[in-house]
Amino acid sequence: MEKTANATPTAKQTLIGTRVKKPDAPDKATGKTRYINDMVLPQMLIGKVLFAGRPHAKIVRIDTSAAEQLPGVHAVLTGKDATGLKFGFVRDNVALKDKVRCEHDEIAAVAAESEDIARQAVALIEVEYEDLPGVFTPEDGAREDAPLIHDNFPGNKSLAFDFQHGDVAAAEAASDFVVDNVFRPHHVTHCCMGTSCAIADFDHNGKLTIWTQTQYPYNYKMDLAPALGLHPGDIRVIQPPIGGAFGSKLDVYPYEPIAALLARKTGRPVKVIYSREEEFKASPTRQPAIIHMRTGCTRDGTLTFRSADVLLDNGAYTSWGPTIPVIMMRTVSGHYRVPAVDFKAQAIYTNNPYAGSFRGYGNVQCTYATAQQMDMLADMVDMDPLAFHLKNSQKSGEITPQKSFLRECALVECLETAAQASDYSRKRKEYAAQQDAPGRYKKGIGLASSIHNAGGAKIHKSDGIGTILKMDDYARVTVITGASEIGQGIDAVITLIVSEELGVPLEHVTLVNNDSDIAPWDVGVHASRTTFIAGNGTRRAARKAKAQILAAAEKVLGEPAETLELRGGSVVRDQCGTPIIKLDRLLRQMHFQAEPELVMVTDYYEPKSEPEGAQHMSDHSAAYSHAVHIAEITVDTLTGEIKVDKVTVAQDVGRIINRMGLEGQVEGGLAIGLGYALSENMLLDHGLLKNASFRDYKLITAPEMPPLDLHFIESDCAEGPYGAKGISELPTIVIAPAIANALYNATGVRIFNPPMSPETVARAIHERRMQTAPGKATTPSEALAV
Amino acid sequence: MSETIEAITTYLAPRRLDEALQAMADGEATVLCGGTDLAPQTESGARQYKARLLNINRVEGLGGIAADGGEIRIGATTTVAEIRRSAALAKIAPVLVEAAEHFASEQIRNAASLGGNLCNASPAGDMSPPLLVLGAAVELACWRDGAAHTRRVPLEQFFVGPGKTVKLAQELLTAVVFARPAPGFVARFRKSGPRPALEISTVSVALGARVADGRLGDVRVAMGSVAPTPLRARHVEAALEGRPLDAATVAAAVAAAAEDAKPIDDVRASAWYRSHLVKVFVEEVLDDVRGN
Repeated sequence: MEKTANATPTAKQTLIGTRVKKPDAPDKATGKTRYINDMVLPQMLIGKVLFAGRPHAKIVRIDTSAAEQLPGVHAVLTGKDATGLKFGFVRDNVALKDKVRCEHDEIAAVAAESEDIARQAVALIEVEYEDLPGVFTPEDGAREDAPLIHDNFPGNKSLAFDFQHGDVAAAEAASDFVVDNVFRPHHVTHCCMGTSCAIADFDHNGKLTIWTQTQYPYNYKMDLAPALGLHPGDIRVIQPPIGGAFGSKLDVYPYEPIAALLARKTGRPVKVIYSREEEFKASPTRQPAIIHMRTGCTRDGTLTFRSADVLLDNGAYTSWGPTIPVIMMRTVSGHYRVPAVDFKAQAIYTNNPYAGSFRGYGNVQCTYATAQQMDMLADMVDMDPLAFHLKNSQKSGEITPQKSFLRECALVECLETAAQASDYSRKRKEYAAQQDAPGRYKKGIGLASSIHNAGGAKIHKSDGIGTILKMDDYARVTVITGASEIGQGIDAVITLIVSEELGVPLEHVTLVNNDSDIAPWDVGVHASRTTFIAGNGTRRAARKAKAQILAAAEKVLGEPAETLELRGGSVVRDQCGTPIIKLDRLLRQMHFQAEPELVMVTDYYEPKSEPEGAQHMSDHSAAYSHAVHIAEITVDTLTGEIKVDKVTVAQDVGRIINRMGLEGQVEGGLAIGLGYALSENMLLDHGLLKNASFRDYKLITAPEMPPLDLHFIESDCAEGPYGAKGISELPTIVIAPAIANALYNATGVRIFNPPMSPETVARAIHERRMQTAPGKATTPSEALAV
Repeated sequence: MSETIEAITTYLAPRRLDEALQAMADGEATVLCGGTDLAPQTESGARQYKARLLNINRVEGLGGIAADGGEIRIGATTTVAEIRRSAALAKIAPVLVEAAEHFASEQIRNAASLGGNLCNASPAGDMSPPLLVLGAAVELACWRDGAAHTRRVPLEQFFVGPGKTVKLAQELLTAVVFARPAPGFVARFRKSGPRPALEISTVSVALGARVADGRLGDVRVAMGSVAPTPLRARHVEAALEGRPLDAATVAAAVAAAAEDAKPIDDVRASAWYRSHLVKVFVEEVLDDVRGN
């Protein structure tokens, strides 16, 4: 049931579940927003980076003298200016390099009066390289005779993860059917509309202020400090409005310390901003992987085991990409009831661009495998995939082998809702029967699901958030929160919750959440956590304020606080909603009295979740959620083009807070997932990116967005704010295998190496036909008939 | 902006053609019309500005579509959007309007000119295959001995290689002309890429022919993105000329397509896929004509 937002909730109305617009939407839509990319500071210099442009090399000689002499150039820095300033997840990175390990390695940097001068200066830097043999696949990197990329990482081995549960060998012996495939998910990148940008400035006490796009400002200080030899306490992080992050700003990347090194050297503010081409080449990627997965089941369709042996393409440095197995293994062990599990993952250094975190965080790659194997097994046991999924679905209260406690589990409801809404079972049968019938265009329908953390993920010592809430004499509320806004809509959620709790209009709530010297600590925007964590923190702070106000009201009005409520900008009688005193008047009375009090409260909320731990046996999130996607497609079997006709989504959201924000997140997440499935692909040739432009890197655009049929299942999460769960990653995770399963339903073809581009699909269909009837057809369409 | 734009010392936006031709008589002018190819190419460094930038948008007589007589004439500065909206062309040469509809995006169509699209000489240029099957020619004008001179070059002789044409540096492409198609003329255009919107052709195929008594005559077939230039597919044409439009003819034309299309592997597609698509599209446009 759709509810309409009222500017101020009255006694019987609630804002929870209504449609509330993002507070910054009008400014963004009209071009008023000043993004970080627009910012200019007095005396500001422009920094420009010289990239290596080759994948693996020694730097024999570097001569910066011509660049230094160019008028308007204030500083030229090279690897020697960053010696020893190692940073990164395993301290394998440095802002300016003394050896080339990937195409975008930063060799030198210039600060100059203008971008043109900086560009000219970069062109004047002479570097003599000695190219080294490179490693461009994780298999090659793992070979004994492979060239070593980092001297201190033998075997090119980066991070490794493993998890075992139950007796896989025995479970396999007891299996009637086993599927065994190798999936090769590919390189994609975030394509934020706002390219990477940082502005750095030092004061004379040596304190750094950095304006940057980070989505985790507090741990960011800790991560940036070693890249500059600074104390984290001497870094102030300011987050102006940004044009997207999607996980790409969940780490420190070299352009940020480069801006700071140039600022320190010149004593002036320095801005580094990437062009679109630099953005393509120098941004993190989604981690490509080689996933050897096996899943078994018995004749009656009961899953017996799942094993995954994963080799990850780490790229040249270790950012957050190689940690994705932490989430991958939760899916391998927890996507349906799997009694025995064997998971191994090894990240291998290569001379490719290096991976960071990206919405869906490993689960995109992993679910592409698990959800297709579910479909394959259903086929082998000759069951409707819906029935097969239902048979193996977990129910509320179950605990996965990794100890994820599925307290409220709506997987069955998601499956049934999506299947019913799309008429899945009937269509699947009908389309499968048409698979080998004549005809160029084939319809297909595919079902996929996944599980994801929906209450944060305790991969740090704390997964909490600090909130400060204050009210002024006019009943305006300021929420000073650690929750960063990177476009995902936490501004609307926090405003809505404050308005709900304190009965003030939405427009009377202001957020301060972009300055690390002001706002209290938070882990950052990741793991679908912000609505869950910041929503709880905000509600707790607002309720503390409310308790203070109602206690004061009790004194003033002589009515018990329990019988009072805050609604419509007034203190009201709870039962009938009759206003008794205006809230602003009460606040002034509280303030200007003999014993004055201001409403200003603090809260630190820590979710009830357990640290991940080395054994990976913990309830690491305060909630888990499922989503089911059913994709309906039409395949042009000659050109290989897939047109997505419709996607039906059923997702457990716990409880809807802001329906408009929820819809936006699901639609946006699907657009990223569709691009991953169908068209996006970083084309690397020996580590060099060949399609560093939107002309040749194909994002999904508006005409390709299919109609969506969204169903939100409200499982009412006991830990979540008003029952809500985190929602933002599942839409990106589930769609690709739903399309892959639909493609199989339509054509009998499976794609193990996404994207399912027209060429890949056409070739697979062509090869399948050549196997059935080689060389008989004289025209493409005749080949369809044989 | 990069340093390349600083190479420009003179900017000219004349109103008369002779002024424009004089301004480029020494071959040292960069011609600007829609700028949709020029701007990204100079920005990326693939192309350099000359000292003189010549904006031809204001030159009188260079725009517009004249479709009244036996010869159709489209001025060089006519935008792709104007072609797309032209009611006259929709009647006379709908294949051209269809190609304009599939051209890039709304914003680019509004700016990009027909002349610029042809002079850019991309093997994937969307306007080339339909104009080739219409038998179009381009008019090239230059200033010599105190007067303007114009020559006509058939479009199929215009392209030399990727980004290269027979047009001299002192010449300006002023118009595209083609004879009004005879009654019974049919034409088709088909292109493809990995994504419907904002697409650069993976492969395109155009067919133009006169259909009489179930047979094809005056057949022209053109292909894009299968060779260094847009080309006439002579083998496919030979397989179709004078033949009854039946399954055997279609099969022969499809087989002949492999003789004409010599595609390469690149970022956008493999040679195998391009060859495959050419066959698919040749069959598709012929089947479409058969269905009429």
